[in-house]
Amino acid sequence: MISGPEHETAPLRPAVFFDGMSSRRRTVALAFGDQLEISEDERPLAAWDYADIRRADSPSGTLRLTCLTAPALARLEIRDAAVAAELTSRCTRLDENMPGRHGTTKIVGWSLAATVSIVAVVLFGVPLAADRLTPLVPQALEQRLGEVADGQVKVIFGNQVCSSTAGQQAFAKLVNVLRETAGLDTSVQSAVLSSPIANAFALPGGKVYLFSGLLAKAENSDEIAGILAHELGHLKHRDNMRGLIYNGGTSFLIGLLFGDITGSGALIFASRSLVTASYSREAEQNADSVAIDVMHRLGRSPKPMGQLMFRVTGKEGDRSLSILSNHPLTEDRLKRMTEEDRPLGGPPLLTAAEWASLKAICSVKN
Amino acid sequence: MNQMAVVPPALPGSVSFSGKRGDFRALVTRGALLELVTVGFYRFWLTTDIRRHLWSDTTVDDDAFEYTGRGKELLIGFLFALAIIVPVYLAYFLISVEAARFKAFASFPLLAFFYLFGQFAIYRARRYRLTRTVWRGVRFWMTGSGWAYAAYAALWGVLVGLTLGLMLPWREAALERYKMRHTHYGDLQGSFEGRGWDFFKRGWWLWLLAPVALYVFPLAPFVYAAFKAVEWRWWLSGMRFGGVRLESTLPRGALIGLYWKVIGWIVLLALAFVVYLAICAGLVASMSAAPLNQFFAPQVFLKSIPLLVLAGIGYLAFALAINVVIRIYLLRDLWVRVLASTNVHGMEAAANVSAKGELASALGEGIADGLDVAGF
Repeated sequence: MISGPEHETAPLRPAVFFDGMSSRRRTVALAFGDQLEISEDERPLAAWDYADIRRADSPSGTLRLTCLTAPALARLEIRDAAVAAELTSRCTRLDENMPGRHGTTKIVGWSLAATVSIVAVVLFGVPLAADRLTPLVPQALEQRLGEVADGQVKVIFGNQVCSSTAGQQAFAKLVNVLRETAGLDTSVQSAVLSSPIANAFALPGGKVYLFSGLLAKAENSDEIAGILAHELGHLKHRDNMRGLIYNGGTSFLIGLLFGDITGSGALIFASRSLVTASYSREAEQNADSVAIDVMHRLGRSPKPMGQLMFRVTGKEGDRSLSILSNHPLTEDRLKRMTEEDRPLGGPPLLTAAEWASLKAICSVKN
Repeated sequence: MNQMAVVPPALPGSVSFSGKRGDFRALVTRGALLELVTVGFYRFWLTTDIRRHLWSDTTVDDDAFEYTGRGKELLIGFLFALAIIVPVYLAYFLISVEAARFKAFASFPLLAFFYLFGQFAIYRARRYRLTRTVWRGVRFWMTGSGWAYAAYAALWGVLVGLTLGLMLPWREAALERYKMRHTHYGDLQGSFEGRGWDFFKRGWWLWLLAPVALYVFPLAPFVYAAFKAVEWRWWLSGMRFGGVRLESTLPRGALIGLYWKVIGWIVLLALAFVVYLAICAGLVASMSAAPLNQFFAPQVFLKSIPLLVLAGIGYLAFALAINVVIRIYLLRDLWVRVLASTNVHGMEAAANVSAKGELASALGEGIADGLDVAGF
């Protein structure tokens, strides 16, 4: 025996030792002295301070230990329950590295904080960023986006621009007077597309499209004028660009939550629809304000616009949930337009003949 | 193959799993609830705990594995990945705008870039997991280039697409050779000896059945489960570390039961969800002032906010329960079945391996998380 006097009183316990330098499996004997002494065939291999010993993951029935001052992967494995219990009682800081209940509380706390901050950013930060960033986006980029969208619109709707000469003249006259009143420059382009869909929309970069389906349902020029003024309102506020920034930002932030949980797609979709719908409703209301203002300045009433929309959609409140809708309910818009109804103070925007040729813009080919 | 079998292994390389199913069930149930409370942020720690459980109860030649990764590393990897993915998405957006100017919808080929990025992430995620895998005090590690692997995977992917999936076995063999050639256990270098042809021989009839299975519902789970079983067996049987050879005897039908159990549970849970919705509707209807026949008219019914909230809560519970079921059957039970079919030969080659290799960061795992890709 080369070992010190305390070993004569302390019995030797069997264990398995891996020194972290090689995969050699060593059957060792343990001695509990001032330190934990590990020896193989009476040759000392290592001595670990009890305070430096930590638990490592192991199958049940095995106590696996590591030591802060030893090589990071050195492992001592004890399968004898009595030895394990004796050693555990000596190592006071055994479980300090183990992720435990305290750690979980911390994770939950930080996650809640992160969630609150993400929700706050989605509700307040992103709209603010969209408003502030939109004016900074160069017109050139917006034009390019418009060209992309324009190409896609033409692929989807078959590129059928209606262009009877008289109809085109009437349409240009109407758009020009609205554009000037709304305070937009001549970069605005517009066209009537042949499609049964009753709709109109604005593209980024200043393009307004009116579908012939809406024209077919219109009864007078003020109805179409109001709709076009509404779309010009979107252009004026650059709502496409703002919407793009806003949707990109919220999609990204909401996507951070519920990362890989199966079935989370529906949740992400639902919460995103909810916030973006509210944002879009606001943009629609602002565009309506522009339309109302333009019609008033021209001495015309915005009420016909509301009536046209009501004719197209019918009463919406019965069918959909208002908080999920991306525009205000048509009946509410009609109510607002009706409240803004004023006695006519200006001449009609189109003569009866011009209105007739505009209605016929898609039916006459030249 | 046969001349190797003549030499009897010095040590019987038995592989076993000692983890209790109840422990795992408790782990993933608690994890699912915590994922709900933390709106998904707990996933980093849950993934880590699942791996710790599976690794540390898996023993080869009487010595258990250990997973030394931590949830915090995955979180940091995810945050770093975000810092990379966000500018990439912005650049992608600008480039696609430019591309689409010339031709509508011309930007779709750019998605190919994200495929490459995803493959890169898979490779780097594998590297992270391997460097956190320890056996007998020595860690596994990996070299090689994630981008080279991604290019390789993409080229083979094109070939598989052109041949309608027929080349899949050769693609897997080629990619596995690349991965295993760059995989090490200490100073033992890995290699992959599985050949595409062997995989094809065992599974060609599944390739023929696949188009039929797409239309005949009850056939699809059988075909998929059989394919996974053939794949696992071929994959494990091809793995080598120096002189250490793995062998799997997994029968073709071994996993079919697991997939059907998952389907059965999902049907049961869906039924429970429907019953729950009916009860909620009944409760809300009885509390509202409107007469019953009026309440159930679709326009009133779908507008009831309390009902929508209750349905949302029910849906959450439903989704979480499915997560638990999938993890128990397709992660834990599948792992146990595959392990039970596996034997290791030539263990003496692993008796004295010198430690080597550096730890890799969890960036790849983060990117894979951010792009929603998975694989090993």
